Amino acid sequence: MAEVIRAEQLTKSYGQNRGIVDVDFSVETGEVFGFLGPNGAGKTTTIRLVLDLIRPTSGRLSVFGLDSRRDSVAIRRRLGYLPGDLRLYERMTGRELLEFFAHLRSARGKGDELARRLDLDLDRRVKELSRGNRQKIGLVQAFMHDPDLLVLDEPTSGLDPLVQETFYELVAEATGRGGTVFLSSHVLSEVQHVADRVGLIREGRLDLVDTVENLRARSFTHVEATFAEPPPRDAFAGVPGVNELDRHGDVVRLSLEGEIDPLLKTLARFHVRALDVHEADLEDVFMALYRGAGADAP
Amino acid sequence: MLRNVALKSLRDVRRGFLWWSLGLAGFVALIVSVYPTVHSNPALKRLAEDYPRALQAFIAFGGQVDYASAAGFLGIELFSLMVPLLFLVAAIATGAGTIAGEEERGTLEMLLANPVSRARVVLEKSLALAIEIAGLGLVLWLALEIGALTVGMDVSAGHLAAATLAAVLLAIAYGAIAVLVGAASGRRSLTIGVTAALGVAAYLVNGLAPLVHALEGPQKLSPFYYYAAGDPLRHGLAPGHLAVLLAIAVAATALAPWLFSRRDLST
Repeated sequence: MAEVIRAEQLTKSYGQNRGIVDVDFSVETGEVFGFLGPNGAGKTTTIRLVLDLIRPTSGRLSVFGLDSRRDSVAIRRRLGYLPGDLRLYERMTGRELLEFFAHLRSARGKGDELARRLDLDLDRRVKELSRGNRQKIGLVQAFMHDPDLLVLDEPTSGLDPLVQETFYELVAEATGRGGTVFLSSHVLSEVQHVADRVGLIREGRLDLVDTVENLRARSFTHVEATFAEPPPRDAFAGVPGVNELDRHGDVVRLSLEGEIDPLLKTLARFHVRALDVHEADLEDVFMALYRGAGADAP
Repeated sequence: MLRNVALKSLRDVRRGFLWWSLGLAGFVALIVSVYPTVHSNPALKRLAEDYPRALQAFIAFGGQVDYASAAGFLGIELFSLMVPLLFLVAAIATGAGTIAGEEERGTLEMLLANPVSRARVVLEKSLALAIEIAGLGLVLWLALEIGALTVGMDVSAGHLAAATLAAVLLAIAYGAIAVLVGAASGRRSLTIGVTAALGVAAYLVNGLAPLVHALEGPQKLSPFYYYAAGDPLRHGLAPGHLAVLLAIAVAATALAPWLFSRRDLST
């Protein structure tokens, strides 16, 4: 499958703490790639590199097989972009703004249709619009030319749940046409039901890239036990497949991979008041991965 | 008006342009209306001739201090200071807004997400700036010509046009410098400060040169010298001098896309 975005050892340094270091990933044609990480992790930096708004310190970045710097105009011709910090011309109406951008692309686009679907009034000036409505203009201008690649930085921020649903439809339609979507978020739940693959970026480093499916498979069982009195610190240390996540007083939370029997035998030695066993969701998996990655960091 | 970056930039300044035009026309009308009084008052003529030499150097626009002729009067009252000042303020404000202003407001990021090169954005916006200033020049020339005809000033439309063109090219040169500084720095207030400081310095150097021997060399580096020295109100077009102003504008405009394309857009 052809690669739409390919980053090799992509590095952008700004001085002390920001930026990204040796980021490697590729986004393939037709997929939705979710770029996940806490705020300030380097998501926006990576996206701005793709747009050629900023330039890499080292490493390589190609989009549609073209060089991100040299062929930027050709790349942007096929790309729709929604910035994370959306700033629109305040004194223009939505309609004027879309008309201007349409002229810059020498294509009419389907702004009116998208505005109708998002229930957006195009005749009001941007400065009169709420944050959610501005975000809708941002979405319309990104989607209206049916771009081959959509780069969306925190696209659902400020949108109410109903509009978010429309947004997910738009993403599905885009990939249905063969388009590719690269979107970022700091909340996994926003991404997990649209993304095919996710990349986890933390403190400028891409920790992990995997399919949502595989991440689900990494899933573990969550065990929360309430004891009559706290068991010894090392009570579960030797139990196969078990990891103690945290404890608050009498309550101990454990993760479990594999059979539950060894854990049950261990638990039976103590006075257990309550036991809750459930399948961890993706958010739990990520939190565990975050913690793991955090432990490796200096 | 939304067909391209240049037209959109002109559209952005349309309201400001209207106010500038009204102000400019009103100011010209005010100055011209006192001409008959000054012209027929011998005491005022002598007063001007008795000004200290330092002041004369500043107020004379190219030629001698001379309140008696229409050319001398307009030179002292309008073209020596107020016209270049107003035109430079307008040009530097637009020039600083071109890249730096839009970058600070954050709208440049959206603009550059479209398939337009940074060079094209700079060049189209520079073209819009030149058109805006030329438009102000047209307003100034029309106001002067109407005023001159009304009060019966003895100055030709061609000479008024030549002086106005000099002011237009001077302002476009400083506007282009503002675009250049903004394209390189991305910071609006810095751009205004640097460009205005360059303008004031050049004005002072040109004005003081007749008094301070050491400034005679540097005077030739001052754009204000090429603006005024040809004395266009009396002698008409000074093509050589105007060519220097044009060259400054062209050089700054050529350098701006290059510097802008080399750097990161600020957040």
